[in-house]
Amino acid sequence: MMMPAGGGGGGGRGGGGRSWPSTTSVSASGKRIQKEMSELSFDPPPDCSAGPKGDNLYHWVATLFGPPGTPYEGGIYFLDITFPSDYPFKPPKVVFKTRIYHCNVGSSGDVSLDILKDGWSPALTISKVLVALRSIFTNPDPYKPLVPGVARLYLADRVKHDEVAAEWTLRFAR
Amino acid sequence: MFRSNNVAARIFERQISSPAPGTSVHCARRFYENIVPSHTIYDIECPDILFRKFSDDGNYLVTFSRNHQDLVVYRPTWLSFSCREDDCLNRDLPSKASKFESFFTQLYCVTLAASGELICKDFFLYSEKNQFGIFATSTAQIHDAPAVGGAIQGIPSIEKITFHLVRLEDGVILDERVFCNDYINLAHSMGVFLYDDLVAIVSLRYQRIHILQIRDSGNLVDVRSIGEYCREDDELFLNSSSQGMSIPDRNTAQNIGNGLESIHHMPETSFLSGLKQRLLSFILRGIWNEEHDPTSRMQCLKKKFYFHFQDYADLVIWKVQFLDRHHLLIKFGSVDGGVARNTDNHPAFFAVYNMETTEIISFYQNSAEDLYTLFELFCDHFHSSSKNSFYMNFLSTHSNNIYALEQLKCNKTKASSCQQFVKKMLATLPFNCQSQSPSPYFDHSLFRYDEKLISATDRHRQSTDHPIKFILRRQPNTLKFKIKPGPESGNSDTRTKKISSFLFHPILPLAISVQQTLFLQPAVVNIHFRR
Repeated sequence: MMMPAGGGGGGGRGGGGRSWPSTTSVSASGKRIQKEMSELSFDPPPDCSAGPKGDNLYHWVATLFGPPGTPYEGGIYFLDITFPSDYPFKPPKVVFKTRIYHCNVGSSGDVSLDILKDGWSPALTISKVLVALRSIFTNPDPYKPLVPGVARLYLADRVKHDEVAAEWTLRFAR
Repeated sequence: MFRSNNVAARIFERQISSPAPGTSVHCARRFYENIVPSHTIYDIECPDILFRKFSDDGNYLVTFSRNHQDLVVYRPTWLSFSCREDDCLNRDLPSKASKFESFFTQLYCVTLAASGELICKDFFLYSEKNQFGIFATSTAQIHDAPAVGGAIQGIPSIEKITFHLVRLEDGVILDERVFCNDYINLAHSMGVFLYDDLVAIVSLRYQRIHILQIRDSGNLVDVRSIGEYCREDDELFLNSSSQGMSIPDRNTAQNIGNGLESIHHMPETSFLSGLKQRLLSFILRGIWNEEHDPTSRMQCLKKKFYFHFQDYADLVIWKVQFLDRHHLLIKFGSVDGGVARNTDNHPAFFAVYNMETTEIISFYQNSAEDLYTLFELFCDHFHSSSKNSFYMNFLSTHSNNIYALEQLKCNKTKASSCQQFVKKMLATLPFNCQSQSPSPYFDHSLFRYDEKLISATDRHRQSTDHPIKFILRRQPNTLKFKIKPGPESGNSDTRTKKISSFLFHPILPLAISVQQTLFLQPAVVNIHFRR
C-alpha cells in the first residue's frame, strides 16, 4: 500500500493517464493539469513544491518553506489544493493544512488571495499560484484580512505581530 | 583452565582469585548453576487466585482474586521446618510443604475494581525505586463505538479505564487516573510504558501519548500529551494568542472530562495534528535534502512524498516505548492494525521522537535494514525500562549474550527472505514494558532450554506433558533441573489443550508453574524450589 519508492508517481508526463480512475476519458482539465505538472517539474519555483496526492490528479498537496527574513522562516507549510472539474475556467481551492498566524489565512486554513477568487484567469497556472501563495508570507495584505485581529496587530504593532507569528511557526509549523 | 563445578571448589576459587575486571557479577551468577529449583511440589493447596508476577526486585508476588476485583499481594518467604532426626536432608518434606502459605505470606488484599470494572489480569507495572505498582481496571469494551469528539474511526471504546497507583508495601491506593470512552491496549501492558518515574499511556482512540509522572509523594502528575499538540502549553498558547481570531466554538459537550484537563477534543479542523506536522515535514526535508537538482528533486518528491501524502497523514500511533527520558520510539500504522492481534501484514513505521525539542529524530519503515542493524547490535538500548533497575541488566539479549546472538544468526540464515526476517524481528518493537523475567535461570550463558516451551518473556504457552529441561551451557552440559507444570502423574486426558504460565522469582531458586486446562477447571499450581 504505502512507500515502495518509485511505485507510480501518479502519471508522470506523457501517456500516464491510465493510472487514475478517469471515467470520461482524459478530460480537458485533466490534460491541462498534467501539462502544468510537467511544467512545474521542469521549472519549479524556489522553496516550494507540489504534486498530486495518490493517483488523483485533482487533489494536490503543496509545500511552502517559510521565506527567510519573515517570521515564518523555518516553517514548513502543507497546503491542500483541489482543482475543480472545469479547471482552468475556475480557480483551484487552496487550504492550509498547517497552522499559521497570518491575517490572510482563516481559522480553518482558508486563504484569501485575489487570484484564487475574482482575480482568477485561465492563463494562470499552478506555478503562478504557488508563487502568489509564497508572496503572502513576505507581503501580507492587512487591508483585505480574513482575520481582522491579526491584521490590526500587524498594522498597529508589527514587532509584536512578528513575535507571535514566529512563535506559531516554532510551535506548529516545524 | 580447569574449573570445577563443585560449589565448594567455586567458593574456594572465589576466595583466592579475583575475576577479570567488570565480570564479578557474572562470575557470581555462575553459582546459580549449583543452586537450582530442582525440587517440585506438585499441585499445592493454593488459594483461588490469578497469578500475575513477582515484582522485579523479588519483594512481592502480585496476584488477583478470581473475580477480578481484588489485588492480593504476598511476600515470598521460604519453607522452614524443623526435624528431630539427624538425617534431615533425606526425609520427606513435612505435609505443610504442600501448602501455598508455607512459601508465601499474604500481606494484604485490597479491592481495586469499582462497580462495573474488572482488573485487567495481564497488567502490572512496577516502579522499583519507590515500590509502587500500577494496576488497571476497566469496563467492557464496545466494538462498534461511534467515532465522536475527535476519536478515530474503527477503534473500539472502553467506557472507563482506571489506572491505580498502589504502594505495594501496604496496599494503600495513592492515586488513580481515569480515562473515559477511550481505548488503551492493556493486554500485556502494551499500551503503557514505564521508564523511571515517567509513564507513557497511548490513547489509541484519541491518538495521544499521555506522559505522566509518578511523584515520590505518590501522585500521578500530567507532564504532557503528545498528538494533537507537541508541547504542553501549545493549546493554551493557541487559545490565548488567537484571541480576536474567530476560532470555532469548542464543542464542550463532547469533552467528557477524561480526567485530563488538557483533552479538548478538537472540533473538526482540517489542520494536521502537531505530531503529524513534525512527521510530514521530517519526511519532506529528508527527500528535499537528498536531491539537489530542482527537477529531479521535484520528481522524487512527487513519487516518494506527495503520492503517499495521505497514507502518511492517515497513520495512527500504535505503540510507544521510552528509549530514555526524552526519546520515544513510536510505531505508526494504519487504523486496522492498531487493535489487530497479528499486525505482521500491516505496513508500519517507526519514528524516534524527542518530546523535549518536539523533533522527529528518525523515521523508518518496518522493513528497514538499517533499523534492524541497530536493533541487532544495540538491542539493550531498546530494553530500557529504567536506568537504575539493576536486575534488568542481566536479561539475555542477542547484543549482550553470545548464545542468544548465535540463536539469532541461526534463525536469520533459516529465514526464507531477509526482508521477512527483518519485518518479523522489528515487529517486536516497541517492546512491552517489563515483559521479561530477570531470573538467572533464563540467562543463556548459564542454561540452555527450549525457548518454545519456556522463556524469560512473560507469556502463556501451550504445555506438553514432558518436563522442560534446563541444561548447563558450559561443560559438562548436564541436565541441571526440570520444570514440569501440571500434575505429577501427567494428565490422563492428553487431548485437551493445556496452557501453562511460569513465574520465576528474580533472585531466589523459586518458581511457580500454573497449568490451566481450557475447561475452567481449577489450575494446577506447582512450586519449584531448591530443597
